[in-house]
Amino acid sequence: MIAFGSSITAPAVYERHAWSGFRRAGETDSVILSRRAEGSIFHSYNAILEQAAAYEDLEALVLAHQDVEIVDSAFCEKVRRVLSDPDVGVIGCVGAIGVRSIAWWEGSVTWASFVHRYAELGGGEFPSLTWSDAEMPPYARRGEVDTVDGLLMVLSPWAVRNLRFDESLGQPLHGYDFDFCLQVRAAGRKVIAEDLRVYHHHSLALVDSPDPYVEAHRRVAEKWDGRLAHVGEAPGDWKTRARRAEAEASATRAQVRSWQLSIDVRRRRHERAMSEIAGSLSLRLTEPLRRLRRQPPR
Amino acid sequence: MIAFASSITRPEVYERHALRGFRLAAEADSELLSQPANGSIFRSYNEIIERAAERDDLEALVIVHQDAEIVDPQFCPKLRAELRDPQVAIVGCVGAVGVRSIAWWEGSTTWGSFVHRYPEYGGGEFPAFSWKEHEAPPYARTGETDTVDGFVLCLAPWTVRNLRFDESLGLVLHGYDFDLCLQARAAGRTVRTADFKLVHHHSLELVGDPESYIEAHVRLAEKWDGRMPEVGRAGGDWRSRARRAEAEAAAARAQTLYARLEIDAREREHARQLEEALDSISWRITAPLRRLAAERRRA
Repeated sequence: MIAFGSSITAPAVYERHAWSGFRRAGETDSVILSRRAEGSIFHSYNAILEQAAAYEDLEALVLAHQDVEIVDSAFCEKVRRVLSDPDVGVIGCVGAIGVRSIAWWEGSVTWASFVHRYAELGGGEFPSLTWSDAEMPPYARRGEVDTVDGLLMVLSPWAVRNLRFDESLGQPLHGYDFDFCLQVRAAGRKVIAEDLRVYHHHSLALVDSPDPYVEAHRRVAEKWDGRLAHVGEAPGDWKTRARRAEAEASATRAQVRSWQLSIDVRRRRHERAMSEIAGSLSLRLTEPLRRLRRQPPR
Repeated sequence: MIAFASSITRPEVYERHALRGFRLAAEADSELLSQPANGSIFRSYNEIIERAAERDDLEALVIVHQDAEIVDPQFCPKLRAELRDPQVAIVGCVGAVGVRSIAWWEGSTTWGSFVHRYPEYGGGEFPAFSWKEHEAPPYARTGETDTVDGFVLCLAPWTVRNLRFDESLGLVLHGYDFDLCLQARAAGRTVRTADFKLVHHHSLELVGDPESYIEAHVRLAEKWDGRMPEVGRAGGDWRSRARRAEAEAAAARAQTLYARLEIDAREREHARQLEEALDSISWRITAPLRRLAAERRRA
């Protein structure tokens, strides 16, 4: 039996996306173990794991963010195929290798079969790296990776019964996925990226405040430094690393500012263009026509 | 005599902006000491300083980026007023306190009387926060600061005769301003902001070459750590500083990724709205009118 679960903070979002995807992908015997979030995502997911572990016939536990929608009708079939290898601990739809920190996207992304759908600015979508077969880069490949993104994690029965999200890290939101994948690898099991197709209905904003992200980055690096190759590592002694990273952070903050200026300037340019059109003689002359069209039919 | 100078890498930019500003601000006896750039900005500015130092009647040396334009007819009287205090070594129009690195804008900015005019997307401008006095926030104030931005540096005669941009740092472009201000403060002199009005004709890209910026940031921190309070310092030991900064850098990089996504999304939305507006029946049936108007304008 393949179980599905989400940690819910916004029931309407969950019903529209995750729930809808679970119904599409689920089989007749599938159970849904979603529950209202309690504290951190680490704690909430552990509560779901405890529930799932009680099922003797558990074949996999699918954890999806409430704003993630599975749109893959062959989802369970694909999961079963990958889990036929007993060494697999976790499967995801986005994976990377050469990952040194919770910023998995700074490694080499090898697979990403999701679409980022945003609601802002009239809505739109960004298909990820391997969404379209026709546009797939030559280095794209499914298979073993260092980590998968937590938007979708499929846990093997072994992972459900033997591992837990590390609440001792004291983090509310970030780093749970990377840390879990590291636990899987430290136990000699595999993390796999597979062509599981999902929509991620997510805003264009990353985080309101970078502080929790920074804290998670730091704590996960401290936990794993020296325990798994490359994690938390960088060249040079601590002083050299500190100096360089402080400079890099400063340079990147300046670049962020440049991008923000660029956003502001583009918005102004567009507003100017739209206001010129709206104020044009052409539109003013034909306003009665448009008024007529807006009137409901009698 | 107040001398003016730029280090020139693009003569047309210099003539359009810096030179134009010098002509507005200069007095009858002012000297222009601009010259073509020679290697790093540190080296080029030092050559200008050497020439200025030869002038016995020097009251101040004003060094301006070639893309900065003084738009203040009262520039010289304002500068003289600042330099009446013999302790003043450097005056600028943008300054900050609590500065720990070459990223002066990460300190508390106290004054900024310039306009950033950009050429991209049809052009536009961002006035700095104290460009208009009546719109300035309550914390805006001219006076002593930790550092000023190098797009305009007004050097007192003492500074011209006693300090030099530190070529031994081996840097090309960044950090020269912060380092000179630190040298002035280390010598017991003061760095100040004044209400000079300038326009900085600059692209929206604030750090064009991040690697050289990073190099300057590191070297300046190393040079001044322990010699000037707060400079190059942060909380914790080296290990915790490294961990925190590496995390902050990753967070900032993630923000740039999302900013790019937002730009793409905005471009799409703008194109959609424009297409809708221009494809409307109203817009199409009035096309002949617009053609006529355009022809009339051309005639």
